[in-house]
Amino acid sequence: MGALTTSPLMKRLLAVWIGAILVFLYLPMAAIALASFSRQRYFRFPVPRFDTRWYEDAFTSLSVRDLLWTSLTVAAIVTVISVVLAFLGALAFARYDWKGRTIYQKLLLLPIFFPQAVLGLALLLWYSALGIPTSWMTAVFAHLVWILPIATLVISIQVYGFNPAWEEAAYDLGATRWQVFREVTLPVLWPGIFSGALFSFLLSWGNFPLSLYTTGADSTIPEWLYAKMVSGYTPLVPTLGTLTTVGAALLLLGAYATIMLVRRARRAEDGG
Amino acid sequence: MNSATPATTESAAPILRLQNVDKLFGDFVAVERVNLDIREGEFFTIVGPSGSGKTTLIRMLVGMDKPSDGNILLRGTRINDVPANKRPTCMVFQSLALFPHKTVGQNIEFPLKIRGVPPAERRGRCERLLQQLHLPQDYYGKAVGKCSGGEQQRVALARALAFDPEILFFDEPLSAIDYRLRKALEKELKDIHRETGKTFVYITHSLEEAMVMSDRIAIMRGGRVVQVGTPDEIYNRPRNRFVSEFMGEVNVLEVARDGDRLRDGASGALLQGPAMPEGFTKGFLVIRPEAFRFLNGTADATPNRLEGRLYNEYSLGSRMQYQVHVGGGVFLVEKLREQRYQGQLDDSVTIGWDPAEAMLFEE
Amino acid sequence: MSLETDVRALESELEDADHTRRRQRSSLWTELGDWLRQPGALLAAPPMLLLALGFLGPLLLVAAFSLIPPKTFDLGGAWTIRNYVDIVTESYWISFAWSFALATVTVILLMLICYPLAYAMTKVFGRAANILTLLLVIPLFVSENIRLFGWVLSLVKGGVLPGAAELWLGLDISGLLYTVPAIVLGLVYVYLPFMLFPMVLGLSMVPDRLREAAVDLGASRWQLFREIELPLAMPGILIGCLLTFILALGSLAESKILGGSAIVMIADDIESAFTFAQNWPKGAALSVLLIVLAGGLVFAVLSRLDLDKILGRG
Repeated sequence: MGALTTSPLMKRLLAVWIGAILVFLYLPMAAIALASFSRQRYFRFPVPRFDTRWYEDAFTSLSVRDLLWTSLTVAAIVTVISVVLAFLGALAFARYDWKGRTIYQKLLLLPIFFPQAVLGLALLLWYSALGIPTSWMTAVFAHLVWILPIATLVISIQVYGFNPAWEEAAYDLGATRWQVFREVTLPVLWPGIFSGALFSFLLSWGNFPLSLYTTGADSTIPEWLYAKMVSGYTPLVPTLGTLTTVGAALLLLGAYATIMLVRRARRAEDGG
Repeated sequence: MNSATPATTESAAPILRLQNVDKLFGDFVAVERVNLDIREGEFFTIVGPSGSGKTTLIRMLVGMDKPSDGNILLRGTRINDVPANKRPTCMVFQSLALFPHKTVGQNIEFPLKIRGVPPAERRGRCERLLQQLHLPQDYYGKAVGKCSGGEQQRVALARALAFDPEILFFDEPLSAIDYRLRKALEKELKDIHRETGKTFVYITHSLEEAMVMSDRIAIMRGGRVVQVGTPDEIYNRPRNRFVSEFMGEVNVLEVARDGDRLRDGASGALLQGPAMPEGFTKGFLVIRPEAFRFLNGTADATPNRLEGRLYNEYSLGSRMQYQVHVGGGVFLVEKLREQRYQGQLDDSVTIGWDPAEAMLFEE
Repeated sequence: MSLETDVRALESELEDADHTRRRQRSSLWTELGDWLRQPGALLAAPPMLLLALGFLGPLLLVAAFSLIPPKTFDLGGAWTIRNYVDIVTESYWISFAWSFALATVTVILLMLICYPLAYAMTKVFGRAANILTLLLVIPLFVSENIRLFGWVLSLVKGGVLPGAAELWLGLDISGLLYTVPAIVLGLVYVYLPFMLFPMVLGLSMVPDRLREAAVDLGASRWQLFREIELPLAMPGILIGCLLTFILALGSLAESKILGGSAIVMIADDIESAFTFAQNWPKGAALSVLLIVLAGGLVFAVLSRLDLDKILGRG
């Protein structure tokens, strides 16, 4: 064991490296938050005067409400569909041995290894050739093409740890197929399904390249922000950017807290 | 209990009868023409090396797989097509298959919960099982992952007993346990068998394990049952070389007939074997290490005498084992510790055995 | 002894069994039926159907569009390779070259940046790794254009970095934005998690006892890295490189938001062909070229990897 301990100097260097990367990752988000509280229409550093007027604007704006609603609807529907399909897909990916599985595993991953902007344009072409008018609904489908493989991967990691003998044992002890599913399969795989749902929601919520070409007249928040960035800056850009970031972070923390609470509840059950 | 209704039991009728049971996976024949009768209340063990088809066989007996051909009869009723959850039998899995998200108590109560037994009654049954299996009562709320290997074995057994099966199957549950604990659990299992009076069907790759626990043993190889018998019968009258070798370390000599004697291929020695079957030309002579003795002078009149060199000595606790080199052949000799060989490595030694103690197989 | 006769009886019995054994004949249809009856195939069907409709279909359509005359929208007409000829004769190779160059630089930088981090997460800071993972994941869920815009605010004249430099150091670094290095910064920034997490997965596949054994056998720190850690973590590192290379190759937002009009990357060309120029066949042909180049790489790498082994440990 002793042979592998890292020297204190090395440890300190690694800690500095981690710190630098975290600063690198969070600096732009901090800049956005800073800009959103700046009173000026155009951002300058250091900020001469702080103000929250852009938030008031954002909360009262009807178009912002529309954007929020579209983004939420798309993300919610994507989450539900992708979790159901990814659950099935993950069982095929990691649990069952079947002819064609290795090919399936690789085919399924292809959309992840694919430039999203090109995928978005290809889908745009596809919809127009099939005569399907683009709207938030076509964006849901586009998101699924990219998010389903990711959700499947996330759930698969949990499924790899699943011992099929658990199901067989329950079945052998007299449980019906539905009881096996409810009593064993679902509770054991629950953490994976939960993470899969979280990933699906957040990735859809933040997606921009696919939404850009597939929402038609509807618009999600990231899309609208992009439009404003490239033409006609408004201070609502950093404001909405901050709001979506905080929203995503809150959701993640909430999820983390839920997991911790469930674990503690289980442990308390153990104690009693 | 459910669909497989017990028929009127004649005392001689087996609880479980297999008739010409086959299992094919595609072109691969995993189990072939197996006929077995398992009697009410006995501890029956199926032994075989990996790939011998024993796991496939037990999966069919439990109801996880269907035979391709043949019949499985439970008290005279054909149960081939009865699924596992409708059979009055259950199994302790190789991996134990304890539900990781449930506590010890919830695991044990699982079959009762499935049957709709009210919680209070479940709890009472569970507590009695914990006691019967020497598990502390406060383990009721413990996470199964926090139990030791031996405790998990007991929880798995308690869960199966809670089901109150007519036959309890075991799929090598002790294979991953370390040697000393395994020895203790083997005896415990036999005690439980005695206390409950249930029919136990156990599979394992270890004949040694089977010998400790079983009333009767079936030995499988290549999907077929090679021999069925009590531990005594298997030990004293193995049916072929495979069974005799399966029992543990034995000396196997490749021999050819030479007049009324046998010529050992490796050492070239001329030996006296047991009675040769008619038309015997060549085969294998199997001699247990403990059949040998070190000969001193010519006082011993055995016709089998081999001159060799003592190459090495191993201590097996109460017994000592020796490796003796004779010409090109290597022999294992075993003696009780108090009868150990007095001398040094590289001594010239003479070993011998009685012709009747060796076993001769054509193959 | 009766044993020998027993043996012979048993063996002849078994031979009989061999003779009576009949193999089942199977036709193509029953085979297909059997294949579909596998639970895995059944469960894989819905996701595969979705990808057939949402991925394979569109790609085939793009391929078809790339073969019709420029600036037409009708698949019924004559087929031509004009678009490809145009691409080769016009100066599109420049954007391809920029995309490949920037993707390569991004991958190299990310490897250097992420390896120490992945190493620290898997082998050094065991307990803090969870919270660190969370901190590193959060940015992934914020829309990439918002984060890139944060860089605009950080780099722009009078922004966070130039403002701070001027305020505290008296330096003028206002020319950072809308340059090629700014694009590389954006690419490295956005795709960092895509290199990091596969690398972490790869490094966690290196068992500590192997590393201990190597050190015990006299390996130096460098030899440990070269002989043990790198080869065993290679599947994860390869996936990370592949992922970041492909994503950087097809990136659009980074060059547009941070690069201004410094250079044109290939996704930019594709987008303009589809949108402003309304020349779908050319956009399709450019896409096909990009897909073929990237896809070849993906297939070459993925076919060498055993996904069960990589993910099963996760």
